[in-house]
Amino acid sequence: MIYDQARYTEGDKHEPLLSEKDTTTVEVGGTDSPLPDDLTRDDLTLPGLSEPELARHYTRLSQMNWSIDSGPYPLGSCTMKYNPKFTEDVAADPNAAIHPDRSADSAQGNLGLLYGLQEYLAAIGGMDAVTLQPPAGAAGEFTGILVAKAYHDHHDNDRSEVIIPASAHGTNFATAAMAGYDVVELTADEDGRVDLEALKAAVSEETAALMLTNPNTVGLFERDIVEIAETVHDAGGLLYYDGANLNALLGRGRPGDMGFDIMHYNVHKTFATPHGGGGPGAGPVGVVDDLAAFLPSPRIEKTDDGEFERFEPDHTIGKVHGFSGNWLVLIKAYAYIARLGDDGLADASAKAVLNANYLADQLELAVPYGPFHHEFAATAGDRDAADVAKRMLDFGVHPPTTKWPEMVPEAMLTEPTEIESKRTLDRLAEAFNNAYSDTDEAIETAPSRTTASRIDQVSAARTPRLSWQALDDE
Amino acid sequence: MTQTDGSPFAPHTDAETAAMLESIGVDTEADLFDIPAEVAFDGEFGIESRSEQEIRGELRRLFARNDDLTEFMGRGHYSHYVPSIVDHLSDRAEFLTSYTQYQPEITQGFLQALFEYQSMLVELTGLPVANCSMYDGATALAEAALLADRVRQTSGHRILVPEFLRDGKRSVLENYVDGAGLVVDAYPMDDGNVDREALVDLADEETAMIYAENPTVRGTIEEGLTEIGTIASDTEALFCLGSDLVALSLLQEPASVGADVVVGEADVLGLSTSYGMGLGIFATRDAFLRQVPGRLVGVGEDSDDRRAYTLTLQTREQHIRKERATSNICTNQAWVALRAAMHIASHGPDGLVDLAEDCVRDAAALADRVDRIAGYQAPVHDRHHFREFVVRSDQPADRVATALEAEGFAVHAIADHLLQICITETNAHATDELIAALQEAA
Amino acid sequence: MSFDVPDAFRYLESHEWTTTDDPARIGITDFAQDELGDVVFVELPAVGDEIEAGSAFGVVESIKAVSDLYAPISGEVTAVNEDLFDQPELVNDDPFGDGWMLEVEPSDDAFDDLLSAEAYREQIT
Repeated sequence: MIYDQARYTEGDKHEPLLSEKDTTTVEVGGTDSPLPDDLTRDDLTLPGLSEPELARHYTRLSQMNWSIDSGPYPLGSCTMKYNPKFTEDVAADPNAAIHPDRSADSAQGNLGLLYGLQEYLAAIGGMDAVTLQPPAGAAGEFTGILVAKAYHDHHDNDRSEVIIPASAHGTNFATAAMAGYDVVELTADEDGRVDLEALKAAVSEETAALMLTNPNTVGLFERDIVEIAETVHDAGGLLYYDGANLNALLGRGRPGDMGFDIMHYNVHKTFATPHGGGGPGAGPVGVVDDLAAFLPSPRIEKTDDGEFERFEPDHTIGKVHGFSGNWLVLIKAYAYIARLGDDGLADASAKAVLNANYLADQLELAVPYGPFHHEFAATAGDRDAADVAKRMLDFGVHPPTTKWPEMVPEAMLTEPTEIESKRTLDRLAEAFNNAYSDTDEAIETAPSRTTASRIDQVSAARTPRLSWQALDDE
Repeated sequence: MTQTDGSPFAPHTDAETAAMLESIGVDTEADLFDIPAEVAFDGEFGIESRSEQEIRGELRRLFARNDDLTEFMGRGHYSHYVPSIVDHLSDRAEFLTSYTQYQPEITQGFLQALFEYQSMLVELTGLPVANCSMYDGATALAEAALLADRVRQTSGHRILVPEFLRDGKRSVLENYVDGAGLVVDAYPMDDGNVDREALVDLADEETAMIYAENPTVRGTIEEGLTEIGTIASDTEALFCLGSDLVALSLLQEPASVGADVVVGEADVLGLSTSYGMGLGIFATRDAFLRQVPGRLVGVGEDSDDRRAYTLTLQTREQHIRKERATSNICTNQAWVALRAAMHIASHGPDGLVDLAEDCVRDAAALADRVDRIAGYQAPVHDRHHFREFVVRSDQPADRVATALEAEGFAVHAIADHLLQICITETNAHATDELIAALQEAA
Repeated sequence: MSFDVPDAFRYLESHEWTTTDDPARIGITDFAQDELGDVVFVELPAVGDEIEAGSAFGVVESIKAVSDLYAPISGEVTAVNEDLFDQPELVNDDPFGDGWMLEVEPSDDAFDDLLSAEAYREQIT
């Protein structure tokens, strides 16, 4: 299949910037102003365009953008699944668009939704209590580690280290550091999983937590999870579950049953809320009973007579978001979970794993580690994975995540999710194989059919130009 | 529906599933899972699958349990009318269902929109670097404090914030800076604005950052920003200013008063009331470019020598720098930033200034009307106001707020005898009724 | 692929080089610049700062990687190659020449502990 992306080329650029279509300066202040001039700015310069002009501008920009509704988007670790349209309509309910400072009495609908989602997520993760406040996965990690810290502090147990496998998401390391912990990096064993002996050597009375993704970032289930949990718990540490790969486990394994004490859910991955070009997501956090008292405030409970109330957990860490997190995203997640139910959720994971295995089977690229679940890391071998990926763009598919994790050389981390049909997977495999076996020149100069051809990242970084004002200054 | 018991969004027919299993060389889907029996889950969540139509009905009924109140509420989350064009264009699936722009050649559209958003923030703040979003105003403030810690010239570990700061915002700040060993202290306010004499006494070499808001959370417009900026620079502390996109359109340009970082609520445009969902502003000076948290879109060229956009300076970020990253943020609020940019563009500079001026005029006019009701004094602070103001009520504030709720209005009760009322174009039509209800509750 | 390794210089296993002059010049090797790819940013100490052998004194960045720079010797920084701030590509183009990073007044005779060109060449092949 051939794909040609839209282009609106004018000389040395594509669609002009808004500022190149119009720049209007208005004077601010003066006699008609409600404020004295020393409290106002002097003027304001922005584009002043009509609605039809804006409609065309943004429609054109949208046509120059790939999306899950455009075609396959198998970015490993990102779980780009279809975002059901009806969830948008549900979230757009004007009755749900209320202020966060509303009294509980007058906000029973919103509190009811939040309560319902807390319950759903607790059941899915095998957790006892859930907060919906963290606005993204990394914010969930940070919340979870703060909860762990508060728990240790509460027991006069000052600990300084968080253990993280080398192949973990970068957010894990950054999160632990932000919370004030030293990071202890754990190298994998030959099978690509946690090296139990290395873990035993790493844990100590300084261990606050082990952060673990399971299945890990090349799709492998940590088979020794029970022993891993024992090792961490015996040292007095807590076990943290990074929910990025939960789409592999729905209905077949619950972090709570594996010994995890804390977990975050990436609802924009597992529960199909749209990624919006980089967000918003939501990163609810679930914990076991012992940790519930430390969760952010408020949480929602249901009274015996069916009313919903906000309450402050006894030893709450306070807040991790100014209000209640990414509300619209939470509505969509609830609607998605309700649509699938028990059987649908289990089937989503089954088909996600089936699709990953089928796709890997069609590839000419080797997959060093297995058995993998919803994603796999193929290796481009002696070819440059980034170049192979650029060539894939010309075949009407988005390429996988490249060059990560580093344990696989020239990695192409691929996660097709459950939404792709066999036919689409065959087409994706064809794109993969064609790009992989193409000539050096073809892959090094690709892509050619996208709006932009290969972008020079180096000059963009050497001379940062981050606004249209910076372009005007040249 | 072609199937009833699986995911409606997995397209596999039984025949296709069988063919795929056979190709892989296993008998069942279960064979593909490598989960030890001792931790495998074979129970039920107890979540019943419902049809799309059922869920829409269920949630319509659930949200109808929210009382239908006309809200005069603000304090960090505001309601401005969002024109239909914003919904229709931002909801285009090419925007809504795309991912972070890791392959810029095929995502030029979103990158350009984010670049335009950054540029609008540069204009509004006067600062040359703006990122393409933080989660909300509270987390943006917290990230600013962490930036101050990284770049500070002094030994200071103290972040000074206004006495009047939302509890939630302060709590978020404290949670973020604790790991860096920073402490948060409050400076007093003088009739709603920064008490600059007290601030001079408090600010010392222990201070890493001074945070002020304009307008303040009580709606007052700050009158001593330049002086606050000087206090900060005299102590070699960073000056962080909190604001929002509408206020920035009218009030003093942050760069002109010496602000080093601007944070705040960008969601006032593009999102309207959404139970506190946010979009955090983050803008700063060139000198701190490499310390900026979050994503930055820059301009480069493609191999045809045409202008192209790309995420840039990514070595600051967690996926490369790991525990030494400027922040752990990954997923952000990109789509909300897209909406804010669309909303700014649909107003244009005239429309934005008009909107902001109305925020001043309408607040003053409503405060004046409230003040004329026996039993209320407004505004409590003798300042200019933006959108909102504090009211002293003879009756306990809680009782007034509850009585207003019964009449169909929501306002803030912020202290025993203090109410706070916020007015914008979305509730201005109901001021007569609000005044009547306040009279009733006096 | 063969990399330039000047005989007269001394080396660290972490791919920094130093001359044995006073002041000594410090930079990163041809091998290091090749591993990094296109250098886009270099962060260096200021003149007057002290650097300590074996400790990080700065950072070099490419598009997708960040590397600490380790000091081969201890001493006070007497000059910084400011050209690198505008032209970080000099590190790629001429790592042992125009791509130099610091000049340092060596505080002791620490050159002996460093790798010879021969030993470093062995390490990278």
